[in-house]
Amino acid sequence: MAVFNLKKREIECKIVYYGPGRCGKTTNLEYIFKAYKKQVEGEMVSINTEGDRTLFFDFLPMELGKIKGCDVRVQLFTVPGQVQYSSTRKLVLRGVDGVVFVADSLEVRREKNMLSLKDLQQNLKDYGLNIFKIPMILQYNKRDLADEGMPIMPIEKMEKDLNRQLKVPSFPGSAVKGEGVGVTLQECLKRTLHSLQKQFNWAQK
Amino acid sequence: MSKQIKSLLQQAELYRSQGLLGEAKKKYKLVEELIAGSDKLPNKQKLLNGLSKKMEALNRDVETIEKAPTTPEMSAHVNELIKKLFSFSSKDKDASSSALEGAIALAKFGQFEGALEEFEKLLNVKSQRLSAAKNILRCYLEMGNIETATEKLEKWQKGDLLVSEQIEKLTVFYDDILEKKGLKKEPVVEEASAETASQEEKFEEEQEFLDISAVAITFDSGPYKGEQVELDVSFQSGNVISLIISSKDEALIENLKVGVRLDDVHFYSPVAIFRGAGLVSAMTQIKSGPKKGDYSLDIKIESL
Ligand SMILES: Nc1nc2c(ncn2[C@@H]2O[C@H](COP(=O)(O)OP(=O)(O)OP(=O)(O)O)[C@@H](O)[C@H]2O)c(=O)[nH]1
Ligand SMILES: [Mg+2]
Repeated sequence: MAVFNLKKREIECKIVYYGPGRCGKTTNLEYIFKAYKKQVEGEMVSINTEGDRTLFFDFLPMELGKIKGCDVRVQLFTVPGQVQYSSTRKLVLRGVDGVVFVADSLEVRREKNMLSLKDLQQNLKDYGLNIFKIPMILQYNKRDLADEGMPIMPIEKMEKDLNRQLKVPSFPGSAVKGEGVGVTLQECLKRTLHSLQKQFNWAQK
Repeated sequence: MSKQIKSLLQQAELYRSQGLLGEAKKKYKLVEELIAGSDKLPNKQKLLNGLSKKMEALNRDVETIEKAPTTPEMSAHVNELIKKLFSFSSKDKDASSSALEGAIALAKFGQFEGALEEFEKLLNVKSQRLSAAKNILRCYLEMGNIETATEKLEKWQKGDLLVSEQIEKLTVFYDDILEKKGLKKEPVVEEASAETASQEEKFEEEQEFLDISAVAITFDSGPYKGEQVELDVSFQSGNVISLIISSKDEALIENLKVGVRLDDVHFYSPVAIFRGAGLVSAMTQIKSGPKKGDYSLDIKIESL
């Protein structure tokens, strides 16, 4: 949940990386942690279980500096993607201002992507939020696996599966290589801040 | 054929390395069927043996993951972080409603010991007492310790920490979960404050002023000095919000005299919390109706 201190001109907002288990949410944050050292404020905290699966969440605080006269801070979170952690997933989503939905390009994960998107929609709804209105970006991750001859879905197919109705910006990515990670985050931040501006008019004219 | 097997095996290995164990298993099975059904493969038995070794290893992976603890012991540092990150009322650590939410988050993450410690402390804060008590009972029940929960309740029923109305609520609450017990799979912990669901549509028409559903005021003087008090907003007209204050809450009435400036107020809207200031602009005693005797207080929002 965005916290404003308009007197001190500070904003803090929350962006959540959502998506099916093993799609690469944590890998996205790990890359951001390494590549954006300057903006990272402190340490990344990961609470994992066996096999590096996220158990509770990953957390990465960032400090973006002044934007339109306001000091902007962002908290990045990932949810645990595995199905059985649904109550934790929902808790981590609470107070979200913007969402990055990471989809797995592997053919075998097609259905899991769609189920996870549906789960996101339901959880947002439970918090009184609308998936069509919340700032959101799609990332089609693991594109690099095509080079290894792995069966992955063409972008057009993923767009049809996941973005036909949402019509949000989408980017191909390879989180292990860091490709598409930065642009995904930047676009999500842009949309989130824009939406907060529309609602709360925080920016200096 | 051997090319197809090779490619399937490659896929299986990759899925396994990414932790997609179910998918890996399916591919191994497929390879197994292909090999078993073929007459032309020269070293068929050797291939099958190798494959079953891989599948055994995979099954062990699956087992380790299934057995992994779902609520690990976490460091004090991480516990602190969880309390901070999941308390939505306020970021001020000493504020009681924030502390309550933080403790609830700990409980939701299965850190019952740490949560209980916090709830016990919150029993001393009047405004959080009932919620803290409810959550203490919940924690013991989630830990499978019905005995202690019941003992706690009995102690409160006999003592004078809680007023009779609160004890009644608490008893109903407790009976209710006991009744439901056994049906629930996931720990559900009582929510701290009634955070209203957002009504996004409203914002589009009423850009003018936000709906404020509640305020949390931190006092810098008077009987409530240093404490944060959360109050529901009962009515709003533009930048003036009205709250109802029980006539019993004399200390609060004392603190909120007309003309008093409130420099540290959290205004809760459905989608964001604003920190700002307000001015107590009116205080009237309600003359009739169910709230007779209570006070209606107006606060003018001065800055957000
Ligand atoms: N080849 C390839 N592998 C990736 C990519 N992104 C992630 N992976 C791998 O996929 C596996 C899962 O990545 P994580 O980042 O842990 O996935 P997650 O979404 O956080 O998973 P959960 O926490 O279980 O929800 C790891 O083995 C990663 O190395 C990618 O872009 N390309
Ligand atoms: Mg993860």
